[in-house]
Amino acid sequence: MSVEKTGGPSNYEYVSARVRARRAKLFAEEDYRKLIRMGPGEIARYMEETEYEDEINALGSRYDGVDLIEYALNRNLAKHFEDLLDWAEGRLYTLIARYLRKFDAWNVKTALRGIYSGADSETIAEDFTYAGEFDRQFLDRLAEAGSIEDAVELLDGTRYGEPLAAAFEDYEESGVLIPLENAADRTYYEGLIEGATKSGNRATQLYAEFLQAEIDFRNVRNALRIARSGAEIDPEDYFIEGGDLFDASDVAQLSGNVDELVTFVRDSSYGDDLSDALNELERADSLIGFEHALDAALLEYSNHLSHVFPLSVCPVLAYILAKEREVENIRAIARGREAGLTETEIEDELVIL
Amino acid sequence: MYEFVLAFVESSVLLAQDGAASGGPAFTAEAAAALSVGLAALAAGYAERGIGSAAIGAIAEDESLFGTGLIMTVLPETLVILALVVVFIVG
Repeated sequence: MSVEKTGGPSNYEYVSARVRARRAKLFAEEDYRKLIRMGPGEIARYMEETEYEDEINALGSRYDGVDLIEYALNRNLAKHFEDLLDWAEGRLYTLIARYLRKFDAWNVKTALRGIYSGADSETIAEDFTYAGEFDRQFLDRLAEAGSIEDAVELLDGTRYGEPLAAAFEDYEESGVLIPLENAADRTYYEGLIEGATKSGNRATQLYAEFLQAEIDFRNVRNALRIARSGAEIDPEDYFIEGGDLFDASDVAQLSGNVDELVTFVRDSSYGDDLSDALNELERADSLIGFEHALDAALLEYSNHLSHVFPLSVCPVLAYILAKEREVENIRAIARGREAGLTETEIEDELVIL
Repeated sequence: MYEFVLAFVESSVLLAQDGAASGGPAFTAEAAAALSVGLAALAAGYAERGIGSAAIGAIAEDESLFGTGLIMTVLPETLVILALVVVFIVG
C-alpha cells in the first residue's frame, strides 16, 4: 500500500466498482447503429430512455434538435466526472483531478474565444463544461469578464496565470487567439505529467506511461497537421513537453515531411500499437482516419490497463476516455444527420472499439 | 494496528510469567486455539474491507447486485469457521 500521506488512503475498490458499472451502461455498437438511422429529434427521444433522461428532461423546454442533444451530453458528462471526484479519496483523487483539469483548459479557451467573438456572458456560460477544478462561481465571473485582458487577470493566481500572461503579449501583437489557446493547452499537458513518473508503484508508472503516450499522440497529430497544411508555422511553438517520443528539435525536423514522420513513428516504440493507424493514413491519405485510429489505439490501451490493474487509477481513466468518446460519437451522429451526411460518412466519423 | 499488537504481546508476556510461576505451560493449548480464531477473524475482517467497499459501490449503481455483493462480502468468513475447527480439536 503505497499511498501518499495527504488525504488518507485511496478507496480504489469502491471507485472502480462504481466506474465499471457505469462503463457497462455506455452505448454499445448496436445503439450507435440505431442512432445513425435517426434524425436529431429521434436521437433526443432515444436518449430520454437511457441514462441521459434527466438532462434531456431538464433542458427539453429550452432547447430542441441538435442543441438539446449537445447540451444534454455536456451536462451529463460533467455530472459523471464530478461524481468521480466525489467518490475518490486520497491519492486517487489527485490522479483523477489531474486528468480532469482538461476541462479547465477547455473552459478557459471557451471563455477567451467567447470574449474574443463578442458573445455575451450567458452564451459563454452555456458552453462551459463544469467538470474541472474551477468552481461554478469562478467560471461565471470568467464569462462576465469584459475583455481578454480582464479574463487573463482573473486567471492570475491559478496555474494558467503565468503562461497566459506571457502569451498575452503575443496576442496583443498579433491579434489572434492562438498564442493564448496554446498556452492553456500546454499548461494542462505539462501539469499532467509533472510528478507522475516519480512514484514507485507499477500501476502509477503505467498511468504515467499512458499520459506520456497521450502527449506523444498529441504531438504526432500536431506535427502531421502542420506537415500536411504546409503552413509556415514553427512546430516547436506547438510542441508539448513530457512525451518520450520526440523532443522539440525532432518535431521541427520531421514536420516538413509526412513520409519521414510516418517512418519515424513506425520505428518507434508505438510502432506496433499504431500500425493500423499508420496504414490507414497511407492508404486513405486522410488525417481524419489517422486521428480516429489514434483515439481507438489510446482507448484500447486504457482498456487493457484497466483489466491488468483493476485496483488502480487505470479503470477510472479508461472510463473517462470511453465516456468522452461516447459523447463525441453521439455529437458526431447528431451533427452529421443535421448536415445531411450519409450513413457511411457518419460511420467514418465514429470511433467504436 | 501496531498498538494493538504491542499491547497483546505485553499482556501475553505477563501471562507467560504468571504461568511460569505456577509451574504449568506458559501458553495453554486452549489459549493457542483461541488465538488462532482471533487471528483468523482479523484476517477475514481485513479481506472483507476491500470486498465490502467494492460491493457497496456496485450496489449503489445497480441494486439487483445486493445478493451477489452480500455473498462475496462474507466469503472470507469461511476462514473463521475453519479456524473454529481448531477449537474443537484442542477442546
